Amino acid sequence: MLTSKRAPSKARAPGARRLSNPIAEQRFREIVPPLLDDAYSLAKWLSQNPTDAEDIVQDAALRALQALSTVSVDRPKPWFLAIVRNAAMTFMARNRRKAVAYAGDMADLDALDLRQGDDAAPNPEQELIALEDGERLRQAIASLHSPFLETLVMRDINGLSYREIAEATETPVGTVMSRLARARAMLAKTLRAEA
Amino acid sequence: MTDRDLNERLLRLNAALDGELDAMGSLALEREMRDDPAIAAEQRRLAALRDAVRRHAPREAAPQALADRIAALTASGAAVAPTQAATAPTATAVPFRRRVWLDRRALAMAASFAVFGFAVGAGLTSLRTPSGSGDVAQHLVSDFARAEIAGQPFDVASSDRHTVKPWLADRTTISGTIVDLAPEGFPLVGGRVAIVDRVPTPTLVYRHHEHVVAVTELPLDAKGARGTGGIETIDGYHVARWSDANLAYVAVSDMDENALGEFVEAFRRGGGRATEPTRP
Repeated sequence: MLTSKRAPSKARAPGARRLSNPIAEQRFREIVPPLLDDAYSLAKWLSQNPTDAEDIVQDAALRALQALSTVSVDRPKPWFLAIVRNAAMTFMARNRRKAVAYAGDMADLDALDLRQGDDAAPNPEQELIALEDGERLRQAIASLHSPFLETLVMRDINGLSYREIAEATETPVGTVMSRLARARAMLAKTLRAEA
Repeated sequence: MTDRDLNERLLRLNAALDGELDAMGSLALEREMRDDPAIAAEQRRLAALRDAVRRHAPREAAPQALADRIAALTASGAAVAPTQAATAPTATAVPFRRRVWLDRRALAMAASFAVFGFAVGAGLTSLRTPSGSGDVAQHLVSDFARAEIAGQPFDVASSDRHTVKPWLADRTTISGTIVDLAPEGFPLVGGRVAIVDRVPTPTLVYRHHEHVVAVTELPLDAKGARGTGGIETIDGYHVARWSDANLAYVAVSDMDENALGEFVEAFRRGGGRATEPTRP
């Protein structure tokens, strides 16, 4: 009534393959799991979708595992978050969830609208109330274009230093600084405008 | 003051906020703020914004299912299967190093299992030997316990053996007849795939009142598959092992010994009765 049909080719799932070696796996286990929350948070902000974020992080993890066969990593956090960020870019480009805007380098410095000090209504209380409206703040963050969004998230959520952000985004430190300043200025402006 | 000066000042304010100014830069900025209240006010605004971002957009914990899939990528000696196969929450081998981390997240785990358990259509349950002790029964007990905790003891949910059988046949190298034991009080509820010695093997899940019994079918030569015919207790679960001419069976259950004994009897009898054409 029962037969054993041994077919070696089916012993593994189709497409299954070895991606790495034991050393790479060991490095991977040391580096990636502790950074998973950071990776997921970054991916979620960039994709603005929790399901996509999981796909992105899983893709990034596979890339990291493959890369670890050949490279050793001095600073794991910017290294892995760079992979997550690139995986997100690829994912977004492929799935066209949101236009990936590549704006700005040093020119951002000059594009900064710094008149805020002048036209900002000197009503700090109103500003503070706006800041405490979490949903509005999150929407304001989500509306940032990706160069500003990724810089802000890497700084304020992932806690990377300017140098690490520069490394992760392959951008000069000056550009990181101007993007971050601009991101914050835009957030403040958005919240003020709605207040 | 030119735009560029304003730019520079804003960059320095942000850098100060982020702890990126060196001592001399900080000193200079402190002097400026003391001399110009507007700069000091701008600094306070920036700090309030930064704090609000941290408060309302905090770092989020990755879902447990994702963490499990990542952990499964490097589960020792295993082939890395593409996403589809590694999606099930019951499907993850948890390497030893991950356990501490897992414990920290026990609460998140319960929640995410509830969410992801039902979103998954297909999956593999990986059982791996941590240190070479090849006791299949012990692994199947762990598998059973994990599936129970996940609240999703099967990957294909069906009481129809004509649904379960092809599902399992597509995913495993063992083709067994699925016995209909509903008349005996053990309705079939589904099937899942367990991985024993890296070979996907079919596992049938039956219910008996509030209890579950999972029967894994193994090749006769599988290590540790053949038992004495009696019922053992492992980690509080009852385990029965038996074999026939073609396959070895391991049944794991949270039923009591007598009920499991009845089940095994019924399965063996039913198996003889319900012969179906098997695939080549």
